[in-house]
Amino acid sequence: MITLIFFVQRLTGDPTFLLVPETATQADIDALRNTLGLDRPLFVQYLSFLQQIASFDLGRSVVQNVPVSTIIASRLPYTLQLAAGALTVACGLGIPVGIVLALYRQSAAARMLAGLVFAAQSMPTFWSGIMLIMLFAVTLGWLPPSSVGGFENLIMPSVALGLLSMATFARITRTAILDELTRDYVRSARARGARTGRLLVRHLARNAAIPVITVAAIEISNLLAGAVIVETVFAWPGLGQVTVQSILSRDFMVVQGVVLMGAFVTIALNLLADILYSAVDPRIRLDGVRR
Amino acid sequence: MFPIHKNIIAGTVGLLIALSTGSVLASKDRFVVDLVNEPSSLDPHVQWNPDSYAVYRNVFDNLITRNNKGEIVPQIATSWKQVSDSVVEFQIRTDVLFHDGQKLTAEDVAYSVRRITDPKFGSPQLGQFDKITKAEVTTGNTVRLTTNGAYPALLAQLVKLSIVPKAVVEAVGKDAFNLKPIGSGPYMFQTWQRGVQVTLVRNEKYWGTKGPFPTAVFRAVPDAATRVANLQAGASDLAVTLNSDLVAPLKNAPKAKVLAEPTERVAYVRLNTTKPPFDNEKIRQAVALAIDKAALVDGILGGFDKPVGQMLTKAHAGWTPDLPAIPFDLKKAQALVKEAGPAAKLEIEMATSPVFDQRIVQAIQQMLVDAGLNVKINMSDMASYLKRAQGGPEVVPALSFGRWSCACLDADGVLFPLLHKGSPWSAYRNPKADVQLEAARQTLDSKKRIDAYRSVNQMVNQDVPLVPLYQSAAIYGAARGLDWQPTPDESLFLNRMTYKD
Repeated sequence: MITLIFFVQRLTGDPTFLLVPETATQADIDALRNTLGLDRPLFVQYLSFLQQIASFDLGRSVVQNVPVSTIIASRLPYTLQLAAGALTVACGLGIPVGIVLALYRQSAAARMLAGLVFAAQSMPTFWSGIMLIMLFAVTLGWLPPSSVGGFENLIMPSVALGLLSMATFARITRTAILDELTRDYVRSARARGARTGRLLVRHLARNAAIPVITVAAIEISNLLAGAVIVETVFAWPGLGQVTVQSILSRDFMVVQGVVLMGAFVTIALNLLADILYSAVDPRIRLDGVRR
Repeated sequence: MFPIHKNIIAGTVGLLIALSTGSVLASKDRFVVDLVNEPSSLDPHVQWNPDSYAVYRNVFDNLITRNNKGEIVPQIATSWKQVSDSVVEFQIRTDVLFHDGQKLTAEDVAYSVRRITDPKFGSPQLGQFDKITKAEVTTGNTVRLTTNGAYPALLAQLVKLSIVPKAVVEAVGKDAFNLKPIGSGPYMFQTWQRGVQVTLVRNEKYWGTKGPFPTAVFRAVPDAATRVANLQAGASDLAVTLNSDLVAPLKNAPKAKVLAEPTERVAYVRLNTTKPPFDNEKIRQAVALAIDKAALVDGILGGFDKPVGQMLTKAHAGWTPDLPAIPFDLKKAQALVKEAGPAAKLEIEMATSPVFDQRIVQAIQQMLVDAGLNVKINMSDMASYLKRAQGGPEVVPALSFGRWSCACLDADGVLFPLLHKGSPWSAYRNPKADVQLEAARQTLDSKKRIDAYRSVNQMVNQDVPLVPLYQSAAIYGAARGLDWQPTPDESLFLNRMTYKD
């Protein structure tokens, strides 16, 4: 993966052209390329890159003139905040909505709710984001329009981003619950006179949780990998924004650093999801194979 | 999709503004500027781009500067004297203090020149200053600069040379200085919250005009629609890089207004004269005749920009005042294309990049198709675009759209790189033009230079290696109370602003 990123970037452009003034001569361009080490054969650049990685050195940004680790460290907290906020919105709305959709699937209210979920998922964030800003910041003046600061700055970006994943959570929850509703233990519980609330909390929740956790792991990696558009609209200084800017300016080292970090996070989250399965469903821990 | 999205936003913004009620005003103790990105560097000798300039030029003084009329005027240098064709002596102010309290001396000036021109330092700005071969202090406060031959654009380039404190830079090193820059300008660096904002505070001991705001904050707000929303909500006081669609709702906004000024950036279409079909002069001329510049400016750009008949603007040294422009004449263009016969049927690639306005590129494509040419747009990202644009005649696309700015307001920085065979940008081979461009570069006689550039501009109109289109406008959104005159070089000096509620 990282090898692919390394070569694709280098074959499609050169940051030197973006760095020099338009009046630069060929000699100026060559001199700068030499200073940046970009005139070395690709193979040599690749070896020195591997050597750096082995010593946990992510290299330096040629555009910003600071170590890549500094850039990632300064952006990561914002990415985590936004991912947490969006996940709260997505789960907080998506799971209850999914439950309602499953339990009352014949009612008119559920159909309306399904329509709303559909709308939330279909709205492009560059549009829903700016609409949120126009309504809550410009017209009503309740929330700051963009940038970071206090908790109030986090609300709109979290909602704009969370609404997208919310639909995914609602759908998965609905399917999982519907799946469980047809099982024998549910019928037995109903026969014993368990009410819907008790049924849900005592019996359904745990069994339906597995697919939801799987989806959550994937969604979190998506959220971390970069909510580029939401970050751009709300001037939120997360990793997605820095990645896109770095790709455009061919700031190779930054892109590689972010990709590498993304790979580690994805692996870590999948591991975490696997551990959570066994916490939720003891059968997984006992025989090592689900069901 | 993109223009539609902008229109929807503009329309909705207008609608919502009509319904809008008041909200909190940003305090003018704290002036907030919304840039596109954060500065790439705050060390003025490292990175250069508009977002970096906007911030660090308030922190540093330059050797000389331009006033709002565009004239070169003293700043750290009080006066200068051309000793010979290649030697200039500058008298340095003696009452300037750096933000750490140390005195700015002639040695700091000489050091700053030596630092940025040292190839080992690797400044991307080197190309603007590498004609300077020597910088030395002759007497107490005189600095002597020696150039490689006569260099008429020297002063225009020195406008961009910031003075750094030698003692501090040598003590802390390149990286630390970039993180905590110390200058002598009207604002002092306070904090840099990466990815978010840079905060500056007023230098109360500044030797010149002091800044009007105790604190100034430069934020990174990449989405232009958000920059407009911030202004409308009163969360910012100045927003850069807007377009006519986005600022439309600001015209009637209660808290904001539009400021615009023609810049030195000139949009152009470049033709590769060495490759078919543009090795045929008639087809090149057809391109020049087929483009309706007024329609581009009025129909698409909202009338802020100005059609031009040459690559230079009034603000450039070397501008040709009486150059006849090629008129829009579709019939004549169609006749020329017909005359050229099958050669004109070749597919023509028009290269562009997302940083340019694609509405314009598409309109030009349509105009050329109307003239009978077969034009296809090829969009690639800026890094790839530039790589090909500077690859020489073999690689330069048949047709490319671009905007040129040398940030020097001198004809040499425009015509030489675009046309001279020695430049990586040039896909034009005309020995006569090369002779004129070299002559203009080597004389300090402004009359001779104007004449040389006139003949180059005439050759351009005759030969059509380029079609100059329009002078781009810089469009800003500003808080109602801000009084500020934008300039053609797109400078953003806080101490030239005033504010009243």
